[in-house]
Amino acid sequence: MSDLRITDLHKHYGEFHAVKGVSLDVPEGEFTVLVGPSGCGKSTLLRCIAGLEETRSGKIEIGGKDVTYERPRDRDIAMVFQNYALYPYLDVKDNIAFGLRARKFAEAEVETRVKRASDMLGIGHLLQRFPRELSGGQRQRVAIGRAIVRDARLYLFDEPLSNLDAQLRDDMRVEIKRLHQELGRTMIYVTHDQIEAMTLADRIVLLRDGVIEQQGSPLDLFERPNTRFVAGFLGSPKMNFIKATLSKTGVVLADGRELMLQGRSGLKSGQAVLLGVRPQHIAQAGKTVAKGHERIAVTIELVQPTGSRVLVTLPLGGTSVVAELAAHEVSRPGEKTHIDLDMTRAIIIDATTEKVI
Amino acid sequence: MTAAVHPDRNFKHWLLSPAIFLLLLIGLFPLFYSLIVSFMRIDMMETDTSFAWLYNYKNLFEDARLWWSLAHTALITAIALPIELLLGLAMAYLFLEKMPGRQIFISLLVLPTIISPIVAGATWRLLFDNKYGPINQIISWFAGERVNALWTINPALVYPAIIFCEIWQWTPFMFLILLAALSNVDKSQTEAAEIDGARFIRTFRYIVLPAIWPVMAIAILIRGLDLFRIFDIIWALTKGGPGTRTETISIYAYSQGFKQFETSYTAAIAFLVVFILTVICTWAIRRMGLAK
Amino acid sequence: MSARPLHRRYGVRLAFRYGIAALLVIVFCFPVYWLFIISFKTPDEIFSFPPVWYPASIQFANYAVLFKDGDAATVGNSLILASVSTFFAMIFGTIAAYSLVRFKTGGENLAVWIISQRMMPPVAIVFPVFLLYVWLGWVDSYGGLILLYTAFSLPYVIWMMRGYIEDIPIELEESALVDGCTRWEVLWKVVLPMARSGLFATAVFTFIFAWNDFIFALVLTRTEVTTYTVQVTHYFGGQSNFWAKIAAMSVLGTIPVFITVAIMQRFLVRGISMGAVKG
Repeated sequence: MSDLRITDLHKHYGEFHAVKGVSLDVPEGEFTVLVGPSGCGKSTLLRCIAGLEETRSGKIEIGGKDVTYERPRDRDIAMVFQNYALYPYLDVKDNIAFGLRARKFAEAEVETRVKRASDMLGIGHLLQRFPRELSGGQRQRVAIGRAIVRDARLYLFDEPLSNLDAQLRDDMRVEIKRLHQELGRTMIYVTHDQIEAMTLADRIVLLRDGVIEQQGSPLDLFERPNTRFVAGFLGSPKMNFIKATLSKTGVVLADGRELMLQGRSGLKSGQAVLLGVRPQHIAQAGKTVAKGHERIAVTIELVQPTGSRVLVTLPLGGTSVVAELAAHEVSRPGEKTHIDLDMTRAIIIDATTEKVI
Repeated sequence: MTAAVHPDRNFKHWLLSPAIFLLLLIGLFPLFYSLIVSFMRIDMMETDTSFAWLYNYKNLFEDARLWWSLAHTALITAIALPIELLLGLAMAYLFLEKMPGRQIFISLLVLPTIISPIVAGATWRLLFDNKYGPINQIISWFAGERVNALWTINPALVYPAIIFCEIWQWTPFMFLILLAALSNVDKSQTEAAEIDGARFIRTFRYIVLPAIWPVMAIAILIRGLDLFRIFDIIWALTKGGPGTRTETISIYAYSQGFKQFETSYTAAIAFLVVFILTVICTWAIRRMGLAK
Repeated sequence: MSARPLHRRYGVRLAFRYGIAALLVIVFCFPVYWLFIISFKTPDEIFSFPPVWYPASIQFANYAVLFKDGDAATVGNSLILASVSTFFAMIFGTIAAYSLVRFKTGGENLAVWIISQRMMPPVAIVFPVFLLYVWLGWVDSYGGLILLYTAFSLPYVIWMMRGYIEDIPIELEESALVDGCTRWEVLWKVVLPMARSGLFATAVFTFIFAWNDFIFALVLTRTEVTTYTVQVTHYFGGQSNFWAKIAAMSVLGTIPVFITVAIMQRFLVRGISMGAVKG
């Protein structure tokens, strides 16, 4: 049974059409991440699910019940906000207990639940403090604690980590993932950060201009993107796009070089395309050229070491591409070397429709 | 689909309804009621409710006492408002820089503003007393001879008396608001101007004034409207006298309504006042760039 | 070399500023001093020439008279009228302000219409209201004046509370909605606690405006609910004034205001500038 089903949902802000007919099915217990660039409608969609925004048309069902016209309180959801939304006039304990008391839980039950949640998050010692006396990470834990005591059907996270610094963000990401595994609840998580999306999600829903561009498991989207947008959005450093034309046996780059494509059929010779190659799929030339790889002589333009890896910029087919090589393989700009391009993992994108062929 | 409605749709209207109801009841309904009355000819003797339409409004134009009262109001405003503004500004500059005990000074200076205007008027009535009041006594010291000025009776002195009291009570208001506005001016800008060798006047004109203008404009508007309806201080000091010498529009409307019982005519005056204020406000808000 | 003269110049300037400041305080506070001091003087001291600058001893006979004659009860009337009307104006004004801020009810136009009600001169309001009250028989009643003060305070309360409510992060309310609160509970459990200090400050100034009012009370009261401001004017005489009573009555009415404002120092500027300056 699915815990959340959205059917053809539309949301307008005045003239602005923020969500344009989204349909989505989230199975019970799944961690779904809504991701996309700012303004893509991901937060709006989440707020529609929560009932904080009125929708123009479409249907939202939570746990099999139509909640399209229900109040937020009647939807059996819990939500964590970007700025934590802690009540400054309540201490940590009262903050966590707020939702339970609003639902008229017995005080003994409130006590046990607050204790369990705060222990789970390691904030048991902070219960008497006020939000202003907490660090950013602690506040975030309290906000999450307030959601998990509720024992809701659906947990919503609206960019909960974007106000934290990088180190804390990594820690909290692990924490959230652990919580999901322990609680096994259905969670919907909004972020603009593709790394968060990749690491947390059972399933990624990538939105663009109020429409779902593609959904699937993180690896699915990473390896088999449907469009140029998806290919470019996921992965770091970004995928390289090189202008090319299809030939009978491969692609011809702007400088006339032909790269062979094996095991592909139905390619229209002469069609303008983009060749998509991830930086990770370009490697320093080895002893032999592996099957489906293309060896190319290049001159290094720019070197950016990142410690374990090194990012090098090199000219290819009339543009600059980025390759992620092992450290120490390349040391300085101007160096002449050979690289191997893994054509088996390259993608071909129709230059006009931007769809992957 | 059409049957289902998002919940709490009317919550916002429930929230507003008591306030709107009261404002309509006390603001709009009586105004409408008196608009009708102003088209009649009801007074102390006459309770005939037939319509005389613009009769009262025509009389407004021939009523010299009315126009004099407007002139008196304008006179007081024209003198008191600039003085309050400039004096308040000077005081604000005096206390702009930190100094020990500053907060105590400010607190003491603000006292006049929070007193009831009628009490302020009564206080000055005591101060201005020709024989037992301290003001004539102090002037006598400087003059070197006994001064017996009849502040609230002598036609030449009633306006200074009213305006003194008015300035005394409301300069602190200007002072307090301008002090806050000045404190919010970005110091780095004024300092940069000073380093560039700009004189105080130039710095004030091109940096400080634009920064404090929004607040200053509202202060002027609030005080201007208050001065236009000035009543309490005059009531306490002169009651509009001697004769009708210090009768402002509010005092005149009061005496027409509650002493002469010119019911319909007073309603017409009230409408004139509302009309004038609407025009002034609209103009001021546009002119001062407050419409945001 | 130059440090010393500069330092001395600073000292001279500071002394100058203190001098002016002291002079200003004397000028602005002397009338208040005089009012208070008269209330403690004996009749001989009041009517002495030249004036007595400070009484030989503080005596409370002038106050005793007010209490004995029952005139002091007018302060009680003022208290009832101002506090009850403040109570209602705060409730209705705050929820209306919340509606304006959170739901943009009526848009900018409604907000401007409400504040324009504040611009109306009391004399233009009080006359029609008087006609209405005569018709309804509400003149000289607590209810009538409370209704008028409440309505007259509303624009101010709405305007001020709008500013305070705008400062509340909307996520706090949304979080409460999701957590199980109704709209009213959100108002009660989130908005009011968050706007607590603003509520308090606005209430104090609303109270003071009603407390200090004269013209409404003058027109709409006779004998039953006379306020202290009207009572003060009863002691004005054509030829001679009841000085001691004027002073004592005024002081009785002024002390509560001084005390509340002393407590509310922090909010004074925002309160009197109608929110133009956020203090």
